[in-house]
Amino acid sequence: MSPNSIDDILRDALRQEAAETAGGLARLEERIVVELGERRPRLRVSDWLRQLLAPTRGGRIGQLSVVGATATICLLLGVFIANQAGLTNTSPGIRLTPTLAEDGNQEVLFVLPALDASDVSVVGNFNSWEPTALEDDDNDGIWTASIPLSPGRYEYAFVIDGRWWGQDPLADEYVQSFGEYSSVRYVGGGDGA
Amino acid sequence: MTEEAAGNVYRVQDEVSLLRASLTGETEAWGEIISRYKDAVFGLCLGFLRNRADAEDITHDAFIRAYVNLRRYNLEKRFSTWLFTIAANLCRNRLRYRRNHPVAELPPQIRGGTDPATIVARDDRHADVREALTKLPYGYRAPLVLRFYNDLPYREIADILSIPEGTVKTRIHRGKAMLKELMEEERDPS
Amino acid sequence: MIRAARAQPLVTIAFLLVLGLFAVAQTPQARFEQALRAIPVTDTARPLAAFALGLSQPDFPAAEVIQLAERLAATSYSIPEKEAVLLSVVVAMEEGLPVDGLVTKGLEGLARGIPVPQIARSLHQRLILLAETRDLLYAKGIFSVAPGSPQSVPTALPTPRFNLLITHISDTIADYLEGGGSPFEGQTLLQEVRFRLTTLQGATLKVEDVELVLKRIGPADLTRIALAAVS
Repeated sequence: MSPNSIDDILRDALRQEAAETAGGLARLEERIVVELGERRPRLRVSDWLRQLLAPTRGGRIGQLSVVGATATICLLLGVFIANQAGLTNTSPGIRLTPTLAEDGNQEVLFVLPALDASDVSVVGNFNSWEPTALEDDDNDGIWTASIPLSPGRYEYAFVIDGRWWGQDPLADEYVQSFGEYSSVRYVGGGDGA
Repeated sequence: MTEEAAGNVYRVQDEVSLLRASLTGETEAWGEIISRYKDAVFGLCLGFLRNRADAEDITHDAFIRAYVNLRRYNLEKRFSTWLFTIAANLCRNRLRYRRNHPVAELPPQIRGGTDPATIVARDDRHADVREALTKLPYGYRAPLVLRFYNDLPYREIADILSIPEGTVKTRIHRGKAMLKELMEEERDPS
Repeated sequence: MIRAARAQPLVTIAFLLVLGLFAVAQTPQARFEQALRAIPVTDTARPLAAFALGLSQPDFPAAEVIQLAERLAATSYSIPEKEAVLLSVVVAMEEGLPVDGLVTKGLEGLARGIPVPQIARSLHQRLILLAETRDLLYAKGIFSVAPGSPQSVPTALPTPRFNLLITHISDTIADYLEGGGSPFEGQTLLQEVRFRLTTLQGATLKVEDVELVLKRIGPADLTRIALAAVS
């Protein structure tokens, strides 16, 4: 089964199911309108005006973060594909999957596009939440660090010019920690994914 | 104004005007809101509850409750998010109640079509996925329904279910994996 | 005078070098005690005794425990507030519970600049989850035996393996609760635990240990544990 087909089957199945069983919704509007009768919500004009005049900050920020995340993923994919295809001269190519190191640990690559950053590091439970610097030797805005890790589960976040960023698009999962996001990578073993 | 004419006027008004009219007690305006959203709310409830009678009940209750509480609705948020949150909470309560008062679950429905070979194969898989969805824990089923039936972005799903956005992504990802597993089990029970 | 002034930096460097060597040569207990005095805790005897117990355990993260105490000492919070963070770790050490999850969470909180009282609350909840998880495994007939001791029954696991199970089960529940999950969603909790354990099997957990646990725990067990932590 291809990765997208479950999406399509699920989408179709849910829509078809709802369409087939929606018969009971006929004249729902009428029934409710009659039922509501005299039950009317009380309007507080001041509240209403305040709401009307308030800027829609939350929505904008939400949209921005979605755009940002999408852009990040696209950029990463672009870099990845370019590297795979040998289109760039950034040597060595970025390897996103852990590779085995000499001491039995695995070299885990942390990679983050941060075009305007001057200082990027990764903190996590593998370094006692003390920064390990990411490098961007060719100044292409793609910061990387390869860290040897033994098999296990690792929580981490990036720190970009002093600000924490806990949603690595390459993470296996995210957790909330003290109200903030942390990314999680599983190294080695496993059949649960 | 005749009832029909009033209906036409409401149909062309935008959502905010309809909500404002509803707030001043014009229940017909609320009727228009219902007709715009009833399919979305019903599909959500059906997906969450996996039972047609319960889904119809909760759809009805959700519109009543939303109307009664309309003054608490914050215009900064999308109306649909608020409405879906009410419906999702009602579904959750109903599921809790059903744990002690179980009823028959929605049977998988299979229908033929114009091109029997492909349609039957497709419907087979639809039936499988519906059955698998019923077996999935609520915590995974709900985000999947909001994502794939209601087409909502992660942020809105997170708001509706009161869970972090990261958790929504994780649950959808795992939920799909679990669905696949369950579907494979259905096909090959050994 | 001039010669003395020139010599001063050299003396300082030499002094720091000696101090550095001294610090490196210090035993873990001595470093922990030093950090405790820097906080300064009102009573060093109890944490020190607990630390000694911890050191007798296999895989005890002594360096991280010391780091936690040192970084706590560097914060500007009141002594009782700092002690509250340490208390959960001390109790865990006294009880022979694995402290890895507590210590790393404490270090993370400090690194993020989270208010120390909030860190203390988080660690307290995680401590309860650790204890409840161990009780659950005991109740399900899964025990730990000290390394080297004879394994009386197949469900008596060597302590490090047993501790890893407690750590990951309780950590999953803690993450779930911290992420806004409801304790009543036992099925979801079980799925989360199953996912964590099966993902780690073959990496840090043994397949047979994971199978043993998943065979014996159910949604209601996890709901009970989660409720204990939030009440």
